[in-house]
Amino acid sequence: MMDEFGVVDASNLDPNLKYEISNQLGGENIKRCFQCGTCVASCPIWEIDERFNPRKIIRMALLGMREEVLSSEFIWLCSKCYACYERCPQDVRITELMGAIASIAEREGEEGNIAIKSTKPIFDKAFINSIRKYGRNFEMETIIKGVLATKGIKGLLSYVSDGFTMLKKGKLGLRPERVKEMSQIGGIFKALEEK
Amino acid sequence: MNFAYYPGCYLHASAREYDISTMAVCKVLGIGLSELEDWNCCGALEASNTLTLSLSARNLVIAKKKGLDVLVPCSICFNNISRANSAIRGGGITKTMINEAIGESYQGEVEVRHLLDIIVNDIGLEKLSKEVKVPLEGLRSVPYYGCLTIRPSAILKFDDPDTPRSLDDLIKALGADCLPFKHKKDCCGGNLLMSSEEFSLKMTGDILSEAKELGADCVTVACPLCHAMLDYQQSKIESKYDIVIDLPILYFTQLIGLALGLGEKELGLDKNFVSTVKLRRK
Repeated sequence: MMDEFGVVDASNLDPNLKYEISNQLGGENIKRCFQCGTCVASCPIWEIDERFNPRKIIRMALLGMREEVLSSEFIWLCSKCYACYERCPQDVRITELMGAIASIAEREGEEGNIAIKSTKPIFDKAFINSIRKYGRNFEMETIIKGVLATKGIKGLLSYVSDGFTMLKKGKLGLRPERVKEMSQIGGIFKALEEK
Repeated sequence: MNFAYYPGCYLHASAREYDISTMAVCKVLGIGLSELEDWNCCGALEASNTLTLSLSARNLVIAKKKGLDVLVPCSICFNNISRANSAIRGGGITKTMINEAIGESYQGEVEVRHLLDIIVNDIGLEKLSKEVKVPLEGLRSVPYYGCLTIRPSAILKFDDPDTPRSLDDLIKALGADCLPFKHKKDCCGGNLLMSSEEFSLKMTGDILSEAKELGADCVTVACPLCHAMLDYQQSKIESKYDIVIDLPILYFTQLIGLALGLGEKELGLDKNFVSTVKLRRK
């Protein structure tokens, strides 16, 4: 990935990025990384596309390459398989570290500081909105809203016939299941948003 | 043996057959299930770290008030709720953060168990094989563990992350042949389906291709996302790569149910996308 970005511009590094990440839940152990590359050797995404390289993203974050890390499309490609987490000799907990970096990126994206190319956070938001409304995932609504937002109307139409099969098999509810104590769910969202 | 049953969102929707077969098999094996009252989504793979652990912890509090440990068939939910429990037990600021978010003072009193773990290690395969009415002789299956059932092993503490055995041993205990399967603990890419379909279909395609080459009659799984990828996406993979796979994908509960002599409806075998008819005739 460094090749793509060329030579590191040392005058433009943010030394606080690593502290910002380590203050985020899941990012606590980032400074332990000694760049062994066990994560890369375990990563199924790297196996498909060598541009996705968790070791490099960690090194770039430690160096303080703020914009390159936060706007990297590769932080959204983590499949959350925990293979790197399992093997990391420094217990960097990379799966959760990627989540911590993604949370910062999402916030910076919402504030207009960086551009996010991946559609992953858009779909995730549709899912989370369902939990916010009902306390559970209402699959029908999440898929309609999530697919519409990420793949457009044409993308959504490609799901229609499968949707009918699902309905026929009783695998798709027409109405959401709701948690009774929704005030508790609202309380969780409120408490975390105030942080 | 009684548990608070946490179905999770998938088992009440697209993984309905996992829910149905779980209840049917538990009934025969004497595992008492009472659905966790007013459970909420665990955050799945979509919520942030903080939201996932907090949402998951609310369910643990409900179980604690009932005085029951939690039984989870879905590997995503199992992983999240186990990680929440472990984070609470670890103490420190994460514990404080979670307890503040849920407005409780939960201390990690409840145990979180995967259904596969309970059947293999609590019921035991010896007892299970005594219950077998229709040994699955001649049936060749590959075990597919995927990711979230076994990793991170330091938290889930259930099967070996490098050489997992629970599904292998289970398949054999039911009288079927368990084929050695290189992709057994590889990722299906399900988390990327909506954003990077190309990647996820490639990952699942590789898993299905090996199973097909081995001459398996079915793949046995323990996770609804793996199942959705291998079963529901199978026809998309066939047309994308111009190959024929036609391989039934069974939840391990459906496989157990077949050996226990349970019927198609009791196991939700009509709900799988790839037809399971030829398996039932075996």
